Amino acid sequence: MTLADYQQMMDRCVRCSKCKFLDGILVKSKQYSTICPSIERYNLHAYSGGGRVIMANAIQRGRAEFSDEMLDALYRCTNCGACEVACKMYYDIEPNEVIHELRVAAVESGVGPMPKHKKYIDLVERTHNPYGESPMNREAWLPDGVRVDERSDTIYWVGCTAALRRQEIAQATARILNAAHEPFALLGSDEYCCGSPVYRVGDRSRAIEIMKENVERFKQHGVKRIITSCAGCYNMLKVEYPRFVDLDIEVVHISQLMESLLADGKLRLTREVPMKVTYHDPCHLGRMAEPYEKWEGQMVEVLALVYMADPPKPVRTGGHGVYDAPRNVLKQIPGVELVEMERIREYAYCCGAGGGVKAAYPDFAVWTAKNRMEEAESTGAQALVSCCPFCSTNFHDGIEERGSQMEYYDLTELVAKSIGGDE
Amino acid sequence: MLEDKIYAALKNIVGPENISRDPAILETYAYQWCNEVDNTLKGREPSRFGQRPEAVVLPGSAEEVQAIVRLCNEHDIKFKALSTGQGAWAGVTVPRAIQIDLRRMNRILEINVQNRYAVIEPYVTNAQLQAELVKHGLIHNAQGGGPQTSPLASHTSFVGPSFTSSHTGFSGRNLLGAEWVLPTGDIVRVGSFNYSGEWFSGDGPAFSLRGVFRGGYGAYGGLGVFTQCAIRLFSLPIPKDWKWEIKGTVPDYEWNLPPYWKMFVLNFADWDTFTEAFYEVNDQDMSMMAMASSAEGLATMFTNTREAALEAIFAGLLVKTQRYFVVMVTAHTEREFDYRTKFLQAILKKYGGQDLIEEGVVTAQPMHYAEGLRNSLGNHAFRFTSCFQSTHGGLDTIAMSVKIGIVNQPIKQKYIEKHVIGDDRGEGIWITGYEGGHMAHLEVPTVYDPSSPESCRGYAYYQDECNKADISNALGIPFFIVGDAFHDSYGPNVMDYPRWLRKIKAAFDPKGVSDPGHYVSSKPREGST
Repeated sequence: MTLADYQQMMDRCVRCSKCKFLDGILVKSKQYSTICPSIERYNLHAYSGGGRVIMANAIQRGRAEFSDEMLDALYRCTNCGACEVACKMYYDIEPNEVIHELRVAAVESGVGPMPKHKKYIDLVERTHNPYGESPMNREAWLPDGVRVDERSDTIYWVGCTAALRRQEIAQATARILNAAHEPFALLGSDEYCCGSPVYRVGDRSRAIEIMKENVERFKQHGVKRIITSCAGCYNMLKVEYPRFVDLDIEVVHISQLMESLLADGKLRLTREVPMKVTYHDPCHLGRMAEPYEKWEGQMVEVLALVYMADPPKPVRTGGHGVYDAPRNVLKQIPGVELVEMERIREYAYCCGAGGGVKAAYPDFAVWTAKNRMEEAESTGAQALVSCCPFCSTNFHDGIEERGSQMEYYDLTELVAKSIGGDE
Repeated sequence: MLEDKIYAALKNIVGPENISRDPAILETYAYQWCNEVDNTLKGREPSRFGQRPEAVVLPGSAEEVQAIVRLCNEHDIKFKALSTGQGAWAGVTVPRAIQIDLRRMNRILEINVQNRYAVIEPYVTNAQLQAELVKHGLIHNAQGGGPQTSPLASHTSFVGPSFTSSHTGFSGRNLLGAEWVLPTGDIVRVGSFNYSGEWFSGDGPAFSLRGVFRGGYGAYGGLGVFTQCAIRLFSLPIPKDWKWEIKGTVPDYEWNLPPYWKMFVLNFADWDTFTEAFYEVNDQDMSMMAMASSAEGLATMFTNTREAALEAIFAGLLVKTQRYFVVMVTAHTEREFDYRTKFLQAILKKYGGQDLIEEGVVTAQPMHYAEGLRNSLGNHAFRFTSCFQSTHGGLDTIAMSVKIGIVNQPIKQKYIEKHVIGDDRGEGIWITGYEGGHMAHLEVPTVYDPSSPESCRGYAYYQDECNKADISNALGIPFFIVGDAFHDSYGPNVMDYPRWLRKIKAAFDPKGVSDPGHYVSSKPREGST
């Protein structure tokens, strides 16, 4: 795809501003009616989904050129996809796709991504993770007593952030898998970045190279199934990889697996975890987690100017992400009481870290996390729970800056507590 | 290009984060829905990109707006303010103009439950305000633009029918006061606030400035900037302990329908019986919603995707629907509900109609009630091609609305046959009554393809022909009579009102800095006396 392929879509934007808010009937309060952190923080229309579609249109039509200010507006976006959910309720427009394509165009024009992105892309190339850590450190999280079955064709794909920054998630995940007698192997220093941080900022060609290398590595290791505790990696492997490379491997998020293990009686939660919690849907596990389904067909004009896809074309609405599995697991932890925030599921407010924002604009990332923490606090919950190491890092930063009394847990941590695996 | 000195002065007013003159950033203000129509009618390509402002500023207070406007006067710069800003009328139309984006002014300043008014800033949206009002059992007139649009813009400056108009009226009539930054930079507080501190009335002890700046359809942003306003509120029949709850997922949501709410689609054989019945239902002031559309409109109103709407059409809706209007009955008690329901049944019997919901022709899901209340139902029409716009727009009587619909049909059919607008057999209309039925609004929603230059041009020429038909048939005031040329073509038929409009413009905007593009300039037209 190129920006030109989106011309018709871009011309359809009516600049209605729906991309800034929850759909009208979902609004329960003024305070929690907005959905785009970027426009909320920066206010200029260019910082909204629709605004970026218009900028892309102006670039494509040669009415404007890339500039520093324009690139700032383009990259101060977490790529969370909320604008797209709101827009698609009424229009045949995919703002988040256009934003991504504009980033690709920026990279191909030599003006993108931003300097901080270039720095971590270089680190990914040299050390296979965006943190610049030695690949030898990738298994440093592995505690004594965890059983790893190197012969298993199922791997636990730890992901750079859980392996190198949020080891508590990796440790809890491994213990849960052990408790359920679910064998898994680790790729260790052979596990490379999934490519997400490279792909999200528009360096698509390099991201595709990473994808190809990873797929080759999966083949070499005989991988048949991938379990991951990272929403970002899940999204790449489940949703983005199939768009660009052949990946005939089952990909499952740990929340989905835990739900199934609980249903099968293979995982038992016995210890009380007395805690009132609220759950944050990570964008990459939620509205962005619907796979792209290949469609071949034609648009048939059924009424004057009105077209229908023949055969019906699958639409990614954002409504069918992984929403129930984490909640169903939470509800089965003895002592846990789940209370919901106003903005959940397809309209969950982003944590603020995604799309390269945490690296390039850390102040904006934490500003967004603090907003979300405020909403979490309003529920009266003691803890915020989610399923993404990257959300975890940003929420920990947000809690600290806000001086919040709330705790943050990854879902795996609470489950590990309930099986006694946190000791 | 705005001089550096002036740009620096603007930056000094709003702060460096709240201003831009980057061309790509400004393009997001130059681009507007319906610019393709304006551009076509001005002999240009049918592009949605219009005049690019020389800068955009985002003030955070009335004082900042005032300072910006004074600077514009000082340096002969034109300005145009917008809130959410959807439509050509939100953008600037002339060179050397700046855009004032009011997004930072987004507070609900007061909800006065006892005296039933709310005071709001420009960027409060309909959904935001209604969400807070519902907690008090109240609603406002949330204009048909949708839940994400600004009630301040509607009440002070732009048209104002809604899906709940049979209960909540017309925005222009519900304005109880406003803080108005005049084109000169002076601030006027219109209404009772200045002498009582409460915004219960839009008029002062003498003449009313509401008539000057608002009138029927408003100045479309061409006469200064409104920085807050007070609007009238209305009761919402819900139990005290009822809360707005929504479940399910996109696009099929489930809403907790309050008790004693029911939707009807009253279908009649012809325009005559429709008109009589519509008058009676409006006269009894008994519905939250009473509005008419076409079969195609009905199909999209009560479905959640384009495909479902098309399936409804192909399932025979066109045959089963003649002249209908949708009524949403809401009541506080069972007795009230029974009375209203029986009344509608009596109307059906009297005029030989049927309830298409009762007959199983259409189904209104609970979420459609919520969408009616939140004014999302009109947005459903975008699903066909991601675009529609309305012609005509008569603010008149029910009988006149019906007449417009009838007169319009062959005009529309001509363009349908040219394959430049969507095919609704020429019958696509939207009528709602106001204030017990003594007033009504009609517009003619028309689908076109925004990605096709031929379709955009076709729609523009159709709209132009509709405007001319309004004059030749004396059909009431179309809402796209905007700008000098249109006013001058329309004015001679209506007591040459542009003369007076220009006097107002000259008096309030002596330097002509408030962008006149969708209002009027103070310069008299050639040959005018």
